Amino acid sequence: MKKIFLFLSIYFIFLNPLFALIEVDITRGNLDPLPIAVSPLHVDIKSEKYEGLKIKELGNNISSIIEKNFKNTGLFNPLKKEAFVQKPDIAHLKPRFEDWRLIKAQALVTGKLLVKDGKLKIEFRLWDLTAAKEMTALAFTTTPSNWRRVAHIISDKIYERLTGEEGYFDTRIIYVAESGPKSERVKKLAIMDQDGANTKYLTLGNELVLTPRFNPTNQMVTYLSYFRNMPRVYLLDIETGVQDVVGNFPGMTFAPRFSPDGKKIIMSFAEDGNSDIYTMDLETRIVERITNHSSIDTSPSFSPDGKYIAFNSDRSGLQQIYVMRSDGSGVKRITFEKGIYGTPVWSPRGDLIAFTKMRKGRFYIGVMRTDGSGERLLTENFYQEAPSWSPNGRVLVFYRETKAGSKGEGFSATLWSIDITGYNERKLTTKTDASDPSWSSLLSK
Amino acid sequence: MTKSLIYSLIFHSVMILLTVLTLPFMIRQPVDLPPIVSVELIQISDKTNIPFAPKARKIIEETKKEEERVVSEQAPPAAKAKEKPDRIPLPDEKKEKKQIVKKKQNPEEIEPQIRQSSEFEKKEIVDTNQIAALIDKAKEEEAIKKNKIDKLTQSSVKNSFATGLTLSEEDALRAQIFGCWSVPLGLPYDENLLVRIKLKLKKDGTIMKSEILDHQRMNRPGQKFYKVLAESALRAVRLCQPLKVPPTGYEKWKEIQLNFNPEEMLKG
Amino acid sequence: MIFNKNLKNIFLVVFTTLILSACSTAKKSGDLEGDVYTGTETVKYLASGVPDRVFFATNKSSLTTASRATLRKQAKFLRKNKKLNVTIEGHADERGTREYNLALGERRANAAKDYLMTYGISGKRISTISYGKEKPVNPASSPLAWSQNRRSVTVKVN
Repeated sequence: MKKIFLFLSIYFIFLNPLFALIEVDITRGNLDPLPIAVSPLHVDIKSEKYEGLKIKELGNNISSIIEKNFKNTGLFNPLKKEAFVQKPDIAHLKPRFEDWRLIKAQALVTGKLLVKDGKLKIEFRLWDLTAAKEMTALAFTTTPSNWRRVAHIISDKIYERLTGEEGYFDTRIIYVAESGPKSERVKKLAIMDQDGANTKYLTLGNELVLTPRFNPTNQMVTYLSYFRNMPRVYLLDIETGVQDVVGNFPGMTFAPRFSPDGKKIIMSFAEDGNSDIYTMDLETRIVERITNHSSIDTSPSFSPDGKYIAFNSDRSGLQQIYVMRSDGSGVKRITFEKGIYGTPVWSPRGDLIAFTKMRKGRFYIGVMRTDGSGERLLTENFYQEAPSWSPNGRVLVFYRETKAGSKGEGFSATLWSIDITGYNERKLTTKTDASDPSWSSLLSK
Repeated sequence: MTKSLIYSLIFHSVMILLTVLTLPFMIRQPVDLPPIVSVELIQISDKTNIPFAPKARKIIEETKKEEERVVSEQAPPAAKAKEKPDRIPLPDEKKEKKQIVKKKQNPEEIEPQIRQSSEFEKKEIVDTNQIAALIDKAKEEEAIKKNKIDKLTQSSVKNSFATGLTLSEEDALRAQIFGCWSVPLGLPYDENLLVRIKLKLKKDGTIMKSEILDHQRMNRPGQKFYKVLAESALRAVRLCQPLKVPPTGYEKWKEIQLNFNPEEMLKG
Repeated sequence: MIFNKNLKNIFLVVFTTLILSACSTAKKSGDLEGDVYTGTETVKYLASGVPDRVFFATNKSSLTTASRATLRKQAKFLRKNKKLNVTIEGHADERGTREYNLALGERRANAAKDYLMTYGISGKRISTISYGKEKPVNPASSPLAWSQNRRSVTVKVN
């Protein structure tokens, strides 16, 4: 018997090495930002002048915007220009990969631009330095005054190539610009590029304005206005500045949003003290009642396919989040943890719902799956609420208010953003205090 | 006695109850839970890669030879240092001579300053010594046991025995690549995210050839993320050169397959 | 002897208990009852002896006994001044989401309106408006300020 075992053991020793391909499982990596070198774009000498633009600095300005965009994601680490080893024009033609690798860069962005006949032509290339080859190359033509948008579009393309995700840099944020003492705040609708540039005010501040939202084409805004001391939902055309009240409701309408196809406005209407959710078709003007309950129903949010609506209701006693079909049927509560919930917002990817949670005097911004499971709280604060999704469903923008002293001193409202991973919480720069932010979709779509 | 004890207990509890109800600071503050950190439990066994009795002798002999080689390679600098005070026979010198002799017989007593080997190399030598001692006692019994175990747990065999890498070697390699791999965060976590890369290595750990095993998937529509993931894995592997490979057994690991799977990281 | 000692101990305990409970939170003392403001700090008057506002508990729009008493006074005042119309403003504290607070303010304004109507005031004389948390009367961030902000204010229109 022992001999048989000995034989078998020898057999196995010699048999196994024949199949021995070592396999090692790598299940972890690091979350270090990718070191990327963004070379200033080379400005073609043939470039002509263009009113109001410093053409010679355009190459630098564009690369600075790209760098800032990358740095703000927390996923990339743009390297300092002082260390760059090649001039922009040469680097764009044939980068010396080994030299760039020396400064620890793993990716390189190069480009060149030409202003001629009133047009701006830009070309950029993305290089993989460890593989020593080109990853992406694209060219654009546009009016020179649009140079900021080109920088954002280039950032989006590179972001997508390196992460597999759609970018979110060529976008705008609409919000309420606030000023004045806390008991008498002056509020105006404001719009800005996602990086804080190009701030424009859309209303004058004579009446209270709240909770603005973009339509899917980013050309219209819906919001709540206290014009003539009558709180109603309005529509504003960004281009013309024309404001129109939505419908002819005999009472307060508020919390407005657009449907995903842009054809309807969904909002709350308060009748005899009770708030229910209604929609109005912008073309036919037909009003449809969606909820019919003696509780407060507000803050509706469509799923991106338009089939479902998430909303806030206190029909169980306190504010909770519910989901129903877009015709109002099949109402289901989805929040059951301890605490109260508000402001549900459906992700543009359709996979998550972001929300505000209040518990024991603290405010949280979080995300959960659309059935209410997998709740993850991303940040906690004295006061914060109203998250809004970036168009790629990876970042949330929301606002915070600080504690005020006995006379209201020390009060401020600011915009913040955070990744859905919980990382990279940062403050957005706005010219004034700000609240009620809403993120547009990609402008280039 | 008992009566007063009872009274005392009642009144004490009443007092406590009243203080709890009226004093505000007794209200419990919300507990801030720290973020949950997932911990990987790695089973570290005393001995890994226990060779069978017949082969063990061979391996021990081989490693002993290599030790001697290594020691002798590194001994010269030390020897030179000692040559100078040779003329005057000092008591220190004699001791050192004894030490050199000792080294050849009992490798475990090698002073750390001379041996500049990395962690896993040291362990290997120590391991085989312990095993030598064991095997002298129980030759065939060990073989039988090992055989039975192998038959039962074939999956673990793939990783520990057949691969020829000890647990610590594998860990060292994995840890090295962990450091080099920047996981792209934008990956969907409900898809199959396995990237298998086959590498042909040189003896010094640099890569001769790399191959992504599912490379057709990279260009399929809707699998853009797979291309990004595969590229990040390739980048990691290239950045990590030279890889932490064992100093011996080149035939065993000259071809290696790395299975990159960020699922755990994304779900966490 | 023993009994006297016990009695002394009981008295001591009760005495200290009473002293301790007297130093309790503002729950019972001061201007807050439960969660509802009961003071007069921010209160204005429609007429002598007729307060212009009532207060609410957090997240609630139900009227307390004191609120009802105030509203009855308002109703009496309105019955006397038949030509007077009013707007009831509903407000909320800052400790909630903005849109829900708008709805809550609306509920509170209507709670006051409904009560006035049960005392014979025609609904046509009363309009309501909600300001949510947008117009706090006390800008501080304290439980007292918040309780003062949770209110329905009756404002003369003409």
